[in-house]
Amino acid sequence: MSEKLQSILQKQQKQQEESMQKKSEEIMQLVGFIIGDEELAVPILNIQEIIKPIEYTKVPSVPDYVLGVFNLRGSILPLIDLRRKFGLSSILQTEDTRYIVIKAENSEAGFVIDKLTQAIRIKQDDIEMPPVTFHKEEDSSNLISAIGKMEESIVTILNVNALLKRDF
Amino acid sequence: MDDMQEILEDFLIEAFELIEQLDQDLVELENNPEDLELLNSIFRVAHTIKGSSSFLNLDVLTELTHHMEDVLNKARKSEITLTPQIMDTVLESIDLMKALLFSVRDTGNDNNADINIAPTCAKLDAISKGEDIKESSEEKEETKPQEEELQEDYSDMSDEDVEAEIERLLQEKRDEKKKKKQAKSNEITEENQKKEKEQSSNKPKDFQKKKIQPKENTAPVKKSSSSTLEQTIRVEVKRLDHLMNLIGELVLGKNRLLKIYDDVEERYEGEKFLEELNQVVSSVSLVTTDLQIAVMKTRMLPVAKVFNKFPRMVRDLSRELHKNIDLKISGEETELDKSIIEEIGDPLVHIIRNSCDHGIEDPKDREKAGKPENGTIELKAYNEGNAIVIEIVDDGKGLDTNMLVEKSLEKGIITEREADNMSEKEIFSLIFKPGFSTASSVTNVSGRGVGMDVVKTNIEKLNGIIDIDSELGKGTIIRLKIPLTLAIIQALLVGTQEEYFAIPLSSVLETVRVPAEDIYSIEGKDVLRLREEILPLVRLSDVFDIEEVFDSGENLYIVVIALADSKLGVVVDTLVGQEEIVIKSLGDYLKGIKGIAGATIRGDGRVTLIIDVGALMELARDTKSGIKKLSNKEELGSVKKDTKDYQVLIVDDSKTDRTIMQKALKPLGISITEATNGVEALQLIKSSDTNFNAILIDIEMPRMDGYTLAGEIRKYSRYKYLPLIAVTSRTSKSDRMRGVEVGMTEYITKPYSLEYLANVVKKNLKLPME
Repeated sequence: MSEKLQSILQKQQKQQEESMQKKSEEIMQLVGFIIGDEELAVPILNIQEIIKPIEYTKVPSVPDYVLGVFNLRGSILPLIDLRRKFGLSSILQTEDTRYIVIKAENSEAGFVIDKLTQAIRIKQDDIEMPPVTFHKEEDSSNLISAIGKMEESIVTILNVNALLKRDF
Repeated sequence: MDDMQEILEDFLIEAFELIEQLDQDLVELENNPEDLELLNSIFRVAHTIKGSSSFLNLDVLTELTHHMEDVLNKARKSEITLTPQIMDTVLESIDLMKALLFSVRDTGNDNNADINIAPTCAKLDAISKGEDIKESSEEKEETKPQEEELQEDYSDMSDEDVEAEIERLLQEKRDEKKKKKQAKSNEITEENQKKEKEQSSNKPKDFQKKKIQPKENTAPVKKSSSSTLEQTIRVEVKRLDHLMNLIGELVLGKNRLLKIYDDVEERYEGEKFLEELNQVVSSVSLVTTDLQIAVMKTRMLPVAKVFNKFPRMVRDLSRELHKNIDLKISGEETELDKSIIEEIGDPLVHIIRNSCDHGIEDPKDREKAGKPENGTIELKAYNEGNAIVIEIVDDGKGLDTNMLVEKSLEKGIITEREADNMSEKEIFSLIFKPGFSTASSVTNVSGRGVGMDVVKTNIEKLNGIIDIDSELGKGTIIRLKIPLTLAIIQALLVGTQEEYFAIPLSSVLETVRVPAEDIYSIEGKDVLRLREEILPLVRLSDVFDIEEVFDSGENLYIVVIALADSKLGVVVDTLVGQEEIVIKSLGDYLKGIKGIAGATIRGDGRVTLIIDVGALMELARDTKSGIKKLSNKEELGSVKKDTKDYQVLIVDDSKTDRTIMQKALKPLGISITEATNGVEALQLIKSSDTNFNAILIDIEMPRMDGYTLAGEIRKYSRYKYLPLIAVTSRTSKSDRMRGVEVGMTEYITKPYSLEYLANVVKKNLKLPME
């Protein structure tokens, strides 16, 4: 009985600590990149690594934005073309093309981007929810999680979980 | 608390092992009721479980085993003889015991299960009481211990007392509930309870002390049983899985090493160090293979694990169906991967039930047919290459093809038309169709038409093959061929267009090369007549919707695959060879793609997809075939009105050369695209939507030279006649010859005049000359 009580107490304490941490976490670190004309960003903690393009294998019966799978040091990861995912036409790979390997929970995948820009540090206060018109009501598959305001421009922060969610 | 948990786990492992043995022993015992050795060992099992469970406070289980023990003890002392009726009750109580153990395993205790042991206990009591010597025997035990097994009997006694006390309390509780419901059984138990009370009142003193005793008691029993077994240690399956994964990585590394060695060998032919390298590579590859086999072996279990439950099952079935059936088991020592063992249990249960119910006839019918009264079912296991074969042979009435077809038509499983074209084997395989049943009424044993469907699904899951042979009146043979392991497999690598796939070799029957004319079309589906069989064909590129870029030649490569009961010919463009591959999952994002079982990493680091043979067969059914219709597409390039519509690609690594060519072609007014090397050019040609009308190619370029590029381009059927113009400073005759070989249309040597180049291009584009 007392054990149970103790564990419950501990849990509560933990939750409190966690919420405390969230408040103190004021600066968000992101990695920015370009798709088409837009600058997008993903939280740095969700990025496993960034690699130069390597060969990939096509996979049948998937939507066209899933290019296939590639071998990242022994693990097989899907490769997704972000241009096509966002409805842009695909272009040939250039010098600047990179694969960003993004992970979340149990899922991991590579995303093709046009160009890396910079590491972004942004205050939590400068991050806003996307305009209402972007949101379909409570749509968890929304790819945009927030908009970050920077000195001269804005950056679109992507929803990593939605990116990694299979939608076909 | 943790200590108890550990003990409980140990207890469960031991108990399940014991029970497995118990089933077999009991069935054997029924045949040899006089076998005291067997009886003793059965008694010991019940006793051990009782002892341990009372220590662990598993009261319901303890009570049940206690009653069983009573009966068995009497049988052991020849106070009662085991009639089939008594056996039924004993077996029933063993089933209950199993159910209780499962409940302990899943929930940690045995009292919340919906298992009512009271009726069985009452029956057991009735049996031991039926001889009416209970009291006296009790006394016997107390007063004069048996000569043999003196130790055990002594501890028995103290056990019983503990049990009795617990039982008394339990019984009281239960009685209160039962009074309302069951008056009859109540009487028995009450009577019983009285006796127990009397008994327990004899020695209710040292309760605490005695409670510990059962544990001590189990020790000698355990020892004696384990000394006959091989020396083993228990290892968590998780650890073995991890080890297997690591070895998988090693196998991939080995494949890669072999590939690199091949490349090095080609490059440095005749060098001395090659030999040393060769030695290292081959010893690494040898050790890896051995290691893999060794770990695979540790995961192997004898099929006896599954087979053991069948004697009991067949016995029960034969009593239920009033048939006499002997089950003969052979090859039970054959080993299989643990994960597969777990999967084949269910299919075998269904097949054997089916054989008992539908295969073996009633004794009367058998007599009429001139067969021995006892039907026989043989269960055999043996190794065949990289697979294990399990055969279920019965000498029953066999499968009646006419009846099978009739029933299937009746149930709408097949159409008349299909029925007319079916071969014998195809008819046999109707029994695996969901919803199929030959039984006119649904019985306890079969008739719902789900069982054999389960067989097919499970065997397919294991990439196994089912084969049925049957002769009317003589019997049926069902053969299951199952690969030994699932994690690392032999695969056949095939290429279709530009992509490669791996097909599990266990599903491949053969590969054949046939001329395209040999393929016939039936109702829009392609088929091949292969020896006396009609084989449905499907193009791998059609199944997976792969873009048709290459021309397949005159001959077609066909991989004949089989799974469970069906066959299919898969048309591919190239056969690459056989390779050992490690199955990796495609991850959450891509899992469950139809037709793909996983992926593997090849020697060169590339990913190759592994075909899911079962799903491929399904996909093939819905795929429109196109072996005949292919090629002869419209000649590309519609009529150009303007010179601007002409597209010319310049491939050269030198900026200056490209500029010169641009300059030369500018007066023609055509559109020009540039590429700096072969790889880039090929990518452009493959991906862009524009069709080039001519390509100017430099020979010496980094990454991919002009010859290779030309060769690659010519592989595409739509570029077969595309003008390829070599522009190079290589002037030797052999260079020119090579140019012609790879398919260059023109060969221009540097330096050249601008007008000459323009004219050559003009000529090839068929532009009007000035």
